[in-house]
Amino acid sequence: MLRTTIAGLRARKLRLLLTSLAIALGVGFIAGTFVLTDTLQSGFTEKFGAAADRIDVAVLPAPSEKDEPAFLSQAVLERIRAVGGVAEAQGLVRGTSALIGKDGKAAGDYPTSGVSVVQGPLSRTSIVSGSAPKTATQAVLDKNTAKTRGFRVGDSIAVLDQENVRHEFTLVGLFDPGLDQELAYTGAVGYVTETAREMTGQKGFREIDVAAAEGVSQEEARAAVVKAVGAGYEVKTGRQYADDMIKANGADSQFLTMGLLLFGLVAMFVAALVIYNTFNILVAQRTREMALLRCIGATRGQVFGSVVLESVVVGLLSSLLGLLIGYGMGAGAMVLLRATGTPLPEATATLTPFTVALAVAVGLLVTVGAALLPARSATRVAPIAALRTQVEEHTFRAGVVRVVLAALFLLAGAAVTGVGVSGPPGQAALVTVMVGGTLVFFGVLILGPVIVRPLGAFVGWLPGRLFGVPGRLALDNSGRNPRRSATTTVALTVGVTLMTLISVLTGTLRLTYSHKLDEQFPVDYMVQSQTRESNLPRALAEGLRTRPELTSVVALRQTDAEVGAKGEPYQTGTFTAAAGFAPAFTSGSVGALRPGTVAVADYVAKDLKVKVGDRLPVRTKKAGRVELTVVGVFDAEKTNLTEVTVPAADFDSYFGAVGDSRILVNAKEGLSSDVTRKVVEAAAQPYPTAKVASSTEIRSGFDEALDMSVMIITGLLGLAVLISLLGIANTLSLSVHERTRESALLRALGLTRSQLRAMLSVEALILGLIGALVGVVLGITFGWAAARTATSDVVFTVPVPQVLAFVALSGLAGVLAAVLPARKAARASVVDALAAG
Amino acid sequence: MTITGEVGAGHAHRGTAAAVVARGLTKVYGQGDAAVEALRGVDVSFASGAFTAIMGPSGSGKSTLMHCLAGLDTVTHGQVHIGEVELTGLDDKRLTLLRRERIGFIFQAFNLLPTLTAEQNIRLPLEIAGRQADQVLFDRVVETVGLRDRLGHRPAELSGGQQQRVAVARALISKPRVIFADEPTGNLDSRSGAEVLSFLRTSVRELNQTIVMVTHDPVAASYADRVIFLRDGLLVSELFQPTPQSVLDTLMKLEA
Repeated sequence: MLRTTIAGLRARKLRLLLTSLAIALGVGFIAGTFVLTDTLQSGFTEKFGAAADRIDVAVLPAPSEKDEPAFLSQAVLERIRAVGGVAEAQGLVRGTSALIGKDGKAAGDYPTSGVSVVQGPLSRTSIVSGSAPKTATQAVLDKNTAKTRGFRVGDSIAVLDQENVRHEFTLVGLFDPGLDQELAYTGAVGYVTETAREMTGQKGFREIDVAAAEGVSQEEARAAVVKAVGAGYEVKTGRQYADDMIKANGADSQFLTMGLLLFGLVAMFVAALVIYNTFNILVAQRTREMALLRCIGATRGQVFGSVVLESVVVGLLSSLLGLLIGYGMGAGAMVLLRATGTPLPEATATLTPFTVALAVAVGLLVTVGAALLPARSATRVAPIAALRTQVEEHTFRAGVVRVVLAALFLLAGAAVTGVGVSGPPGQAALVTVMVGGTLVFFGVLILGPVIVRPLGAFVGWLPGRLFGVPGRLALDNSGRNPRRSATTTVALTVGVTLMTLISVLTGTLRLTYSHKLDEQFPVDYMVQSQTRESNLPRALAEGLRTRPELTSVVALRQTDAEVGAKGEPYQTGTFTAAAGFAPAFTSGSVGALRPGTVAVADYVAKDLKVKVGDRLPVRTKKAGRVELTVVGVFDAEKTNLTEVTVPAADFDSYFGAVGDSRILVNAKEGLSSDVTRKVVEAAAQPYPTAKVASSTEIRSGFDEALDMSVMIITGLLGLAVLISLLGIANTLSLSVHERTRESALLRALGLTRSQLRAMLSVEALILGLIGALVGVVLGITFGWAAARTATSDVVFTVPVPQVLAFVALSGLAGVLAAVLPARKAARASVVDALAAG
Repeated sequence: MTITGEVGAGHAHRGTAAAVVARGLTKVYGQGDAAVEALRGVDVSFASGAFTAIMGPSGSGKSTLMHCLAGLDTVTHGQVHIGEVELTGLDDKRLTLLRRERIGFIFQAFNLLPTLTAEQNIRLPLEIAGRQADQVLFDRVVETVGLRDRLGHRPAELSGGQQQRVAVARALISKPRVIFADEPTGNLDSRSGAEVLSFLRTSVRELNQTIVMVTHDPVAASYADRVIFLRDGLLVSELFQPTPQSVLDTLMKLEA
């Protein structure tokens, strides 16, 4: 039997390759994910390992419950320095110190980090040009910021301290932030340790690094330091410290792995469908061969075994091919990521034994698993079938079991989705909708063979009319073996569903967000401080109010205060009234906000169980505990107000003259945005941390982030679509093979080669369109459901051009998939084909 | 159905016009040592409105001759004319169009498209050609082959004899210059076979159709007006107004 199987496989090399490619792509994606993350991980391990060589002991503050970071004081540092066996100890400082760009404004959307640069044996900063800072007037800059902001060694740079006071430094060198994602993101200025503390306003050190004296081991040094500093600190040896950092990074890369594997899973699922279909068709076509084997004495078990063995060979070959593809993908992704400027360690792509084992196991299991059902149906072939000249057409009738089962799945899915959609938005609702979506999908999968013919008639109506006889024959052929067509198209449906879902979800969220922006307050400009902690001086808003080009200027102020009977912390704030600023209240009104009253956001009212008319205690900084009357409740998503809002005059008397956190500006109608923007920017110019943004900028920032994620997700899903196209090509070429004599008959009756090609192309087009249609319907439905779980008051929209593009591309891709099979069919000699058994 | 005549060469028998003429037909398969001469210079013509049978032992080249005459296969040397059109030298597209316009086919098996009904199968050649069926002719053909009540059925729901009758009707509907039939009764029991053969003969008599049939069955051949015999790729004999016995005798002589 083994020899028969191998001979059979050899005789069908090309078909084997097509089938293998589907599995290989899926396996490749999974293997590639591990190659990428393993490579990153080994790179990080190497880098951190190098750091551990220099540090013998690291002292960190014990992790605290509070949000704010804990510090190590100067005293602790002195104590450590005094320990015997310690050669050197250095405290590390990290905070913010906003770099002023050449335009006089604070650079970037977030304030630049400020760090201490340590020299000597404990140095962890790699200076790439110039030198490290040595005096209080010298500073270094990370090389990326220097490049983008146009600073060179020798320049003078200005940096703001925590009080927004400007300090000048001489730029003496540039450094590489290395793998520190935070520094790479914000950019960083490095100072000598003392200056770093002054500039960042940090109360102490984030970490103290210790170098042990000659001959003292890391463990001994650690023990000595522990004794000196006492409890309340985390003291690690250099090696431990490096291991912990590697572990923390591993958690990050695990997140990446999980995300990518999700797409790998989708790809494998699609590949499994393709394999299942291929083996099913192969078994059907080899009915006579199987029957002959049975006639000459093969048992059912042997026939079953031969099909399973074939799948084992296919699975093994494709897994190995997949490993190669995966290695290439992983290495390619590294190059791509580095090209886009992601800080990554230098490392060559690694292929771990785990990756190899996993790839082979997944490839093998999926292939063999998908071939089991077809193998079982192969055992049902009766020996007498060998004697029949013609393979009978498979007539398909919708069984009661199938319809009932599909209905159960669909109903359960719809019910679960309904529950998810009707509940409050949130993670749980999203998961519920996902479960519902999966159930509905399986319902569709089961129902597929029943609906494929009517769907084919629907999408094939136009092609059937347009292409005359070939079109009509194609339409008939597409519905000829409903089970086969259904599995082929469902593979495509998976990809299209997910793509449509993502595009509907993002489109809807985008529109919803933009509606909410409009509802909140139709703001033309928003002036905001770069840091959350520091506020804008009130003079800025005063200056804006004097400008005739601007119609309304609303300043929002806020601070933390303990609110309610239990004294829970809430942001408490106020706003300065202006023409046209009328926040929407769900109960009460903004007009009722008089001295001694308060308005709260809807969720605060719910949390504290207060309503209009109730009394609400607030602990204030200057006036002590005050009892305020609730006069209004507002929808937090539709207004800009702080969650607990008091009148402006009251706010000052409760908390003092707090600066403005945000200023909302509206310009006069009819003025060009060039003019008004200059007015606002001129007013903000004296305040380096004041950032001016227009509402379109806010929106486009959001849009860009969305577009980027849509692009990445669509790209990753593209693989699943590619695999399903291989499936269409495979099914079609097998069908062509099956219908060799039919094609010959048509050719004899006068169908030209191009008409025959057209017939097969239209059949593929119809299959592609069926898959796309089902995918679009499912995608839109569950895109809507998912959007409902993301936020309330969803403004539903279907990005029609995008969805149409998906449908058109699916059809086109189907036609592309048909090119080779159609060529093969058209080339066949009529006489040979007629003679073929 | 009138045949506008052109004078054919060779063995024109009934009437003066030849529907199909072949001259010096050779067909070689393979090359070098592996070359097999299937036809070795055949000169033959088939009269319009006549029913001719081609006979010969297995491997005599009768199927190859039919394929070459019908433009399904290319010839190595020689010429084939269908009516006034020379087949040899036509490219695939022109050959296809010629088949569409002037030739009808009946095969031994697999004559019908399984997805189409009997009526759709009958109309298929016309639809491929983008022509409308002549309703009078359609009714007449359907009447002749006795399929009126089976038109809505698919091939799977028809008996073997009925399927072949559909194939005959399909070949007749486009009024081809010639119908080629390749062992049309090979798969049928003798009663259904006899039925199909009578339909073929009727269509020659009543519709003035030209038919060329390849067969190895002397009884089937006896339905024809004329039988030609092939052996080893050469035309070796012919019979007019054959009977089963005369055909059998000729065959015996050839085999000897």
